[in-house]
Parts: sequence; C-alpha cells; structure tokens
Amino acid sequence: MINYIIRRTLLAIPLLFGITVVSFIIMQLAPGDPTALMIDPMIKKEDLEAYKEMYGLNDPIYVQYFTWLGNMLQGNFGESLIRQGTSVSELIFARLPNTLLLMVVSTIIAFLISIPLGILSATKQNKLSDYVITIISFLGVATPNFWFGLVLIMVFSVHLGWFPTGGVETLGSSFSILDRIHHLILPAFVLATADMAGLTRYTRSNMIEVLRQDYIRTARAKGFKQNKVIYKHGLKNALIPVITIFGLMLPSFIGGSVVVEKIFTWPGIGLLFFDAAFQRDYPVLMAITVIGSALVVLGNLIADILYAVFDPRIEY
Amino acid sequence: MENLLTIKNLKTGFPSKKNTTIAVDGLDLHIKAGESIALVGESGCGKSMTSFSIMRLLPPPGEISDGEILFEGRELLKLSENEMCKVRGKEISMIFQEPMTSLNPVLTIGEQIIEVIQYHQGLNRQLAREKSMEMLKLVGFSRVEEILKEYPHRLSGGMRQRVVIAIAMSCNPKLIIADEPTTALDVTIQAQILELMRNIRRKFNTSILLITHDLGVVSELADRVVVMYAGQVVEEANVRDIFRKPLHPYTEGLIHSVPSIRGEINRLYSIPGNVSSSNKIHSGCKFAPRCPKAFSRCFVEKPRLAEVEELHTARCFLYE
Repeated sequence: MINYIIRRTLLAIPLLFGITVVSFIIMQLAPGDPTALMIDPMIKKEDLEAYKEMYGLNDPIYVQYFTWLGNMLQGNFGESLIRQGTSVSELIFARLPNTLLLMVVSTIIAFLISIPLGILSATKQNKLSDYVITIISFLGVATPNFWFGLVLIMVFSVHLGWFPTGGVETLGSSFSILDRIHHLILPAFVLATADMAGLTRYTRSNMIEVLRQDYIRTARAKGFKQNKVIYKHGLKNALIPVITIFGLMLPSFIGGSVVVEKIFTWPGIGLLFFDAAFQRDYPVLMAITVIGSALVVLGNLIADILYAVFDPRIEY
Repeated sequence: MENLLTIKNLKTGFPSKKNTTIAVDGLDLHIKAGESIALVGESGCGKSMTSFSIMRLLPPPGEISDGEILFEGRELLKLSENEMCKVRGKEISMIFQEPMTSLNPVLTIGEQIIEVIQYHQGLNRQLAREKSMEMLKLVGFSRVEEILKEYPHRLSGGMRQRVVIAIAMSCNPKLIIADEPTTALDVTIQAQILELMRNIRRKFNTSILLITHDLGVVSELADRVVVMYAGQVVEEANVRDIFRKPLHPYTEGLIHSVPSIRGEINRLYSIPGNVSSSNKIHSGCKFAPRCPKAFSRCFVEKPRLAEVEELHTARCFLYE
C-alpha cells in the first residue's frame, strides 16, 4: 500500500510539470499585460519599456517560464505585479485556509445530503419520493451557481436577514467559531449544490444496479431484512463508483469556488484568482494554477487510495 | 410420513399494464422430510419462479396471485415479512445457479458465512466463526482459516459454489432449494458438487428441491421427479419410473434430447418449437402445438393430472 502511494505520487510530478507549461502558455496568449493597469497612462514610453525590462516581461516566453519554474522550485512564487511589495506566497497562504475550509465543508455537505437521497430514491424507485428527488436534482443541475447564490443572498440575507451577505467574519469582532459557521453556511451550501444533483443521481443509478445483482438476492435468501440488505450488502458496492465522482468533483470545487467566492466576497484564493486574472497578475495566476492542480492531483490520489481500500478486487 | 412442504394450486404471474404474464399456473407439489425432488423442464417453464415463490423472493413486479404454500403446517404466504425473514436462510435456504455472482464481492467469505450464523442462531462472533470453519470443512475446504479471509474473486467457480453450499447449510435448514446448482460449472466440478450434496443429504437428512433442466443431475440426486411445462406439472413419478417408462410425450421428448454415448450417431433429438407464451389463451393442452402424438381432443379440452399407475401421474389424454 505504501509502495502504491509513493508510486502514484511520483507519477504526479510529470503531470504537474505539464500543467504548468500549458497554463503558462495560455496565460501569455491572453491579450494585455500587467503594465496596462498598474501604471499611470500618461507615462513615457521609455519608462514603460524600462519597467517591462525590469520585470522580465520582454524576455522570450521560455526564458520567463524557466525563470519562474526555477524560483517556484525553491518555494518562491515571486512578487505580485500589482500589489507591489507583497510576495505571492504571502497573498496565497493568507487566503488558502479560507478556500480549503469552504471546499471541505461543501464536500461534506454534498456527500451527506446526496448519498442518503440517492439511496432513498433507488429504494423507492418510481414512487413519489423518487420523482420528487429526481425533479429537485434536475433543477439543481440546471441552476447556475452564481444565480442560485444571488437568490439565496436576496432571500436569506437581504429580506430575512438570517445570514450575512458575504465575508468570513463580522468586521471588527474577534474570532468565534459560531460567527465563522454563520458566514460559511450560504456559500458552502451553494458550492455543494453544484455537485449534489449529479451525485444524487449517480448514487441512485448505482444503487439500482447493485440491487439487481445476484448477491443481493443471496442476502435476501439469508433472511436479512431490507435495511441490512441495502446497507450491508448494497451500499459498499454502490459507493465504489461514487469515489470516481469524488475525484472529479475536486476540480469543479476549485473552479466553482472562484464564482462563489466572488459572489459572497469570501476572501479565498478563488477571489484572488478572479482579481488577478483581470489584472494580468501573472505570478499570482501561475501560483494559484499550480496549487489548484496540485489539489486536483491530490484529490485523484485520494480517490485511488479509497478505491483500493473499498474494493478488494483492485490490486495495487 | 407427513409432508415437509406442500404447495397447492400455486399461481404466480408478472402483471403489467396490459396483461399478466403467467409464470406458474396452478402448481401442486409436496416434499416429504428427507426427500429429494427434482423439478425439471425447459427454460421458461416456471421452475425458478416456483422456487422464488416458496422463498417469497419473486423479482418485482412478480406476485403470487393464488394458492397455498404449507411448510411444516405453516402457511408461508400468510406470514409477515418479519416472520418470513426467520424462515429464509434458517429453515429453507437456497443454492443459486451462478456461483460467480451470488457472493458479495466486497465482503470476505468469512463475513458472509459468519453473518448468517450470527443472525439466525444468535451466537457470538467467536462461536459463529468456529461454526463457519466447521461448515467450510464440511464442504471440503482444508485451509479454512485462510479461506475465511479471502474475497470471492480469489476463488474458482467450484470453490465458490462450495462456499454457497456452506452458507446454505450453516443453519441446518430443513429444506434446501438448489436452483440449477451445477449449470455454471464444468463437468468434473459438477460431479464433485453433486457428490457433496449427496453426502450432505445423507448426513443431515435435509430435503432437497432440485431445480434443473439437466436430466443427468436428476438421476444423480433425486428420489422423485416432477416435470413442468408452461407453469404446470405434466408428469410426476419416481426417478426410476420416469427414465424407464415416461408417460407424457413431453417427458419422452426431454429424455430423447439427452445425447447418448451408446447406439448410432444420429442427429440429436430436439422438441420442435418453444415453450408457448403463457399469454395466449389455450383452449386445449398447452403442449399440444408441439406434441407429436396430439390428436383432435388435445386442442379443445384441457387434460387433468391423473394417476396412471401407482405413484405415477401424468397430464395427458393418451392415458384417459
């Protein structure tokens, strides 16, 4: 098992390397550069050139890339081009915990709600509760995150006043867990809904498939009651494919968090990424891309390990 | 001797919006304690649906529309689901056709035997574990400690079928329903499994309801043979009488369709046609359209199941 984890981790290195190359090129292809935003438009052309020269923006792409890569490998993501004097690492590590908190909580919410709903839907196949769950799931798939987020803010924050409209904590107050949870509920829920619908449908179809298997009939023939048949003999088999979805969900959480963080002004790396993209703040963008990719690769690694844990048929 | 299981006029069908597909059409059957009965017929004749009806495990939307199933004097069809759970696996257990898929792939062999012993006999885990090792030894495993820890995919088909038999036997059931227990296995393994079932029967005096289309298996294991066609019993007799002197043309056809190693090499006999769809309304005998000996009466009237000789019944106008 340890061997397998080490092998998988080593395989992730070339993958991450490839991701940095592609992201770097795509970013260079986007029109505009940081100078357009950061500098007084009345500046003289020579000064602008000198500035670009100073930051290496005139070097060929591959030189820029290898300079960046070399620095990154030493743990130096460079300095923000826009917020001068702050290092990228500082910017990111101040915000990463917020994003991770949001992601972990919304993943937990998504699984805690969808899996029981999926099972219920499967065991009550073609009955009223199945139809209700199915309709809600499809609505969930069809509803865009940003719209749903805005609606929740309208209803629960503006009209009812139950939750704050955004941010991680009440300004000016000292840290408290309850306050943090209060701020977390809406964004985490919105981020979770994006995947909940799919996850529910997926759990449902797997469960239905599993309940038709011969070993389920064997379990019934042993005299077990419905619940024992479903939870002991069905659930584990039905959840193995759901692990794949967990691996696929992580990137969408990182992507989704960009939108959700913007709407709820949640100071995470998603919001940072959003602003950096508009300002062409290359070092920040690249650093977040690398961290995001690393999280995705990590998520897939976790999914593979979970596979090996849950499915005895997998050899590693 | 009193009957262990008596089935009276069992009717089972699959209702759909348009009409009901009839799987079992008024079946009568009885099994005495310690007796081994073979239920024989082509695919689709209702054999398996009979066994699922006894266990009350019909795949949806199948349902029993009429009849009685008495097990030791209790009416199984009137038991609540909870009471039925105490019968399944404890008093009546099943051996399935597909050993490759009838074990749960994510639970160890040990878990799958131990759970049923714990559930029905209320033993603690340690005792249940000892009992399950005993059962595995009984079905012919030697390294039982290791087998307990194995997952099904690591075992061969024959070994898995032994495990399935061990599970079925683990609570000393009075009746075992074996639904095509050897069909999915290759011939040498078939012989071993049949030998095992014979030994178990001798040792524990368990009744067996063997469901099969394989007449070779029938002659190995059964005392009495019940031949089914289109959801009905068409002939019933002791195993010797069935092979020596089949009465119903359908039984004759089945016996003729078994390849023989003696005699001339002829084209293998097969009964023309298929089991007719049970939806069509038949005015006469259900087998008449395929029967080589059918005469005009067969297409108009329905034959009754009648005792032609002592302990030998047939549903055919040839003997009326």
